[in-house]
Amino acid sequence: MARFFRELRLLIVMDVRELLATRAYWLMLLAVSALVGQAFLSAVEFYAEASGAGGGPAALSQGLSPLEGILVPTFGAYDLAATLLFPFVVIRLIAHERQNGALWLQLQAPPIFGVTMASKGLALLLAWFVAMLPGCSALLLWHNIGGHLYPPETLGLLLGYVLRGVSAIGFCAAAAAFSTSAASAAVIALTFTIGTWALDYFAAARGGVLAVIATYTPLAALRTFERGEIQLATIGILAVVGMSGLALATTAAPSGRTLNIRMLRSTAALGAAILLCVLAARIRTSADVSENRRNSFSRTDEVTLANIGAPLSVDVFLAAEDPRLNDLERGILAKLRRVVPHLTIRYPAAGRSGLFQSAGDHYGEVWYESGGRRLMSRSTIEEVVLETVYQVTGATPPPPDNAPTYPGYPLRAHSTFAPWLFFLAWPLLIAGAWIGSRRQRVQRVG
Amino acid sequence: MGSYGRPYCRQLDVVPPFGDARVIISRVHEITLRVDNLSRRHGAFWALRDASFATSPGEILGLIGPNGSGKTTLVECVAGIQSPTSGKIFVGEKEIPPERRKEFLYLVPDGIRPWPDQTVMTVLRFIAALHRNSANALERIVQELALTPLMHSRLVELSKGEHRRVMLGIGLLTPQPILVLDEPFDGLDFRQTRDVIAVLRRHAQGGRTLFLSIHQLPDAERICDRLLLLNAGRIVGDGTLPQLQQTTGLGSGMLEDIFMALT
Repeated sequence: MARFFRELRLLIVMDVRELLATRAYWLMLLAVSALVGQAFLSAVEFYAEASGAGGGPAALSQGLSPLEGILVPTFGAYDLAATLLFPFVVIRLIAHERQNGALWLQLQAPPIFGVTMASKGLALLLAWFVAMLPGCSALLLWHNIGGHLYPPETLGLLLGYVLRGVSAIGFCAAAAAFSTSAASAAVIALTFTIGTWALDYFAAARGGVLAVIATYTPLAALRTFERGEIQLATIGILAVVGMSGLALATTAAPSGRTLNIRMLRSTAALGAAILLCVLAARIRTSADVSENRRNSFSRTDEVTLANIGAPLSVDVFLAAEDPRLNDLERGILAKLRRVVPHLTIRYPAAGRSGLFQSAGDHYGEVWYESGGRRLMSRSTIEEVVLETVYQVTGATPPPPDNAPTYPGYPLRAHSTFAPWLFFLAWPLLIAGAWIGSRRQRVQRVG
Repeated sequence: MGSYGRPYCRQLDVVPPFGDARVIISRVHEITLRVDNLSRRHGAFWALRDASFATSPGEILGLIGPNGSGKTTLVECVAGIQSPTSGKIFVGEKEIPPERRKEFLYLVPDGIRPWPDQTVMTVLRFIAALHRNSANALERIVQELALTPLMHSRLVELSKGEHRRVMLGIGLLTPQPILVLDEPFDGLDFRQTRDVIAVLRRHAQGGRTLFLSIHQLPDAERICDRLLLLNAGRIVGDGTLPQLQQTTGLGSGMLEDIFMALT
């Protein structure tokens, strides 16, 4: 075991050296610093305006959540980085070694090749952590100017972006390993990204299986964390994508095995990854870490709903693109899924167009059924739906929850230090580190 | 996994070839490589056809042939980079699958430019540490190949000859009992070639088998104990220089004459 860690450490150190020699990585750091800075400054400005700065009307304080107002927009820069910048860093590291022969020399070294690929994955993850430092400095800055941070939702969001990086590493590693050149790998990576956008678009219109799959595209997965919800299924799927990508990169390596054997092993790895994703998607455990409990019913309602022993089924006669379905899904059904033990939700009209096709006479209806009782409601209002659920299941509605409501955190502040930090200090630090690492490498004796 | 030779050698009933590079020199003498009817076809073109030969411990075996004769295909099939269309590789009496060949042989391919942005020192230290070779061995090889002035240079800055010497250093730092070098003298001047030949000889005398793919015939004559002559994918001659002279009836003929006579 000691030998394993020693070899892994050696490989990681070399991979980090290679990353530091990559211009793409330093450019990504510079771009991320500027993007985060711009996003943070805009977010703080809008937040201050919403809080009543500048003489405008202030929003209700309950509506002012730092998660939605500051954290999500600031870290949104990392979604852009993970989509359009980081893939090139990953591809450069792996495809370049394949092209220049370093990969072959490492294939002949004692560690099994899986360890070699794992070291690349860990080095890239480390690189992603470093890239997240400007975002973390924005959090400190926000705290410093008096902004409120709720640790669970902040950590949940950071976890989401770490997993976004993990999934990008996995996919791009596989793309690099299956391609003959870095350019081909980049095309594959971009095709995948555009494909997920197309999937989101079609899923919004068609629903059904596409909508289920689209729940786990990188963008949709991030939205879960941005809502302050941590779903084990999402974590599992993003982790599987990351690790299976590295596994595919390992099976595709030119190790002397015939192409058929490599394809067979890669297919097996892909099959195992899909199976794991399907299994992970069945995990319903989730936690609402948002301070304003936006993903939960009140605590008393949750206790009552959790004690419903009989199966409850819900038939939603709404088309996928119908905005009422979106309201119902986000405001009610997602919360019901988290607490009702035996819940089945069906969408008989999800594949239809609400504008041009009808689902018989039932379009627009939502039917709730439990223990032989059926009730229909067209409402997407939480209180009305909960009352219907209690009626159909025979549960006694709980008394009103007396827990303190979310106070909201208005803040009319500006950070004068932020522009200096993001547009001067960080770029100078990054450029200094870049030049320093380069100088260390290019010293020539004599 | 990650056995790197030892359990497999127990299974093969041969001495573990390495593990600790500092003691391999005393352990490698029993490792022989046998190539049996190796063929490689690209579409309708046979790059290699029924190549069979064996290595002896501690010998320098030269693979000689003109450009396009199949030398690189042969060494890459032996090392496991390419999968042959047919044929087998044995160590002792046991067939070795491609993924386990790294336990017995190490190939330094021709034309690679690995880790271009790293310094020579970083790369050699990395290879030595990865293969558990000692700092003393690293120092010795650096001196043997006159790499000291280059240690702080990035690989991308090196001349062709300097880069070739670094690649040789990488090969010599590995502990596998058989070292395969594709065009080891390519880019070296006369003096460097002579010095490298002396270095390779010393390592072969230590018991390591060297399998060199060479296209410069005078260099091959000077260094190789035995020669494999390859032409159009087929082995047309196998033996020491005197044996080949005898086979062709060219008493004191040069290798070039022998090759011409055989092809």
